[in-house]
Amino acid sequence: MSEPVLEPGQETLLDLRLDALRAELATHSPPDALEAALVGTFRKVRPVDRPGLWWMPPLALAATIALVAWMIRGPVPANQDLLSLASSADSDPPFLALQPLDRIAQARGATVRTSEFPRALLADWGLPVAPERAGESVRAQTLYSADGVPLAVRLLN
Amino acid sequence: MPMPPEDPQPELALLARMKAGDEAAFVQIYRKHRERVYRLALLYCGSAAGAADVAQETFMHLITHPGQFDPARGALGAWLCGVARNLARKDSSGREDPTDPAQLADDMSPTFADHDSPLERVLRGEAAEQVRRAIAALAPHYRDVLILCELSELSYAEAALVCGIDIGTVRSRLSRARARLAQSLAPFEHHAREVTS
Repeated sequence: MSEPVLEPGQETLLDLRLDALRAELATHSPPDALEAALVGTFRKVRPVDRPGLWWMPPLALAATIALVAWMIRGPVPANQDLLSLASSADSDPPFLALQPLDRIAQARGATVRTSEFPRALLADWGLPVAPERAGESVRAQTLYSADGVPLAVRLLN
Repeated sequence: MPMPPEDPQPELALLARMKAGDEAAFVQIYRKHRERVYRLALLYCGSAAGAADVAQETFMHLITHPGQFDPARGALGAWLCGVARNLARKDSSGREDPTDPAQLADDMSPTFADHDSPLERVLRGEAAEQVRRAIAALAPHYRDVLILCELSELSYAEAALVCGIDIGTVRSRLSRARARLAQSLAPFEHHAREVTS
């Protein structure tokens, strides 16, 4: 089969027509939505192995555990001095807690007052009182909450 | 016109990153080849919607089967064009003419009507649309080499790989395809002269 031969004029005309087609094709592009669809497919088919973020899940788990533990335990005592007052064991007699320690620790604006009162009152706080000395007065330092509730007491001489 | 070969290394590096799951690398590859693939599909399908479908399937094939690309056999762009060409032909296989040259002899379709959408105007330019329809009416084995070599910038070697023929056959088919295209466009040339004279 012999090869067909175009005359030079025909070649030129054909090239011009093909150029027109190339120029027209150059104005056509795929729809923009195609890229988004393909990227979506890419994410499904080839899930990214992100070596830089491997620590994220364990860190999130640890943070969650810490937060839950903190919420269950309650706020950290803000006034450590009160706790040390209530359970101090220095040269003075120690304070005897009249309320749960955590409640003492949470007390705001607590004050220590020195006063004298009938020894019999100690029985109301659950402290031992010898009947023969119930009528005597006793000198004590009492830790009061801001609303006047006695939190701890220390008997002085 | 076939472009001079470019350094394949940057694109191969991108492809390696894409295989490792790098989305940005895939987007770079897509943006580099999307027009070429889409326009080739437009020539095969004859409709914008069909071309978009073929382009999408082509890049999905790249995502799911990147290992099928062999850099020793040609550039990535040529491989993508080959995938798009096969998908477009498969898509229209129910309507496609036989591709065996012996069966086709020198017959040529007498009309320029597209198989897919005879009434759809794909291109805005009158002259460009005439040529597109004339190409669509060529026998598939001529249409292949014309679209791949003349309009998709594949080298003869790449077109030979895509079509599964040797380079000499690509040359001869291209020569015949051009002759048949010129022949089929001749009436339009006469008509244009009559109108302008």
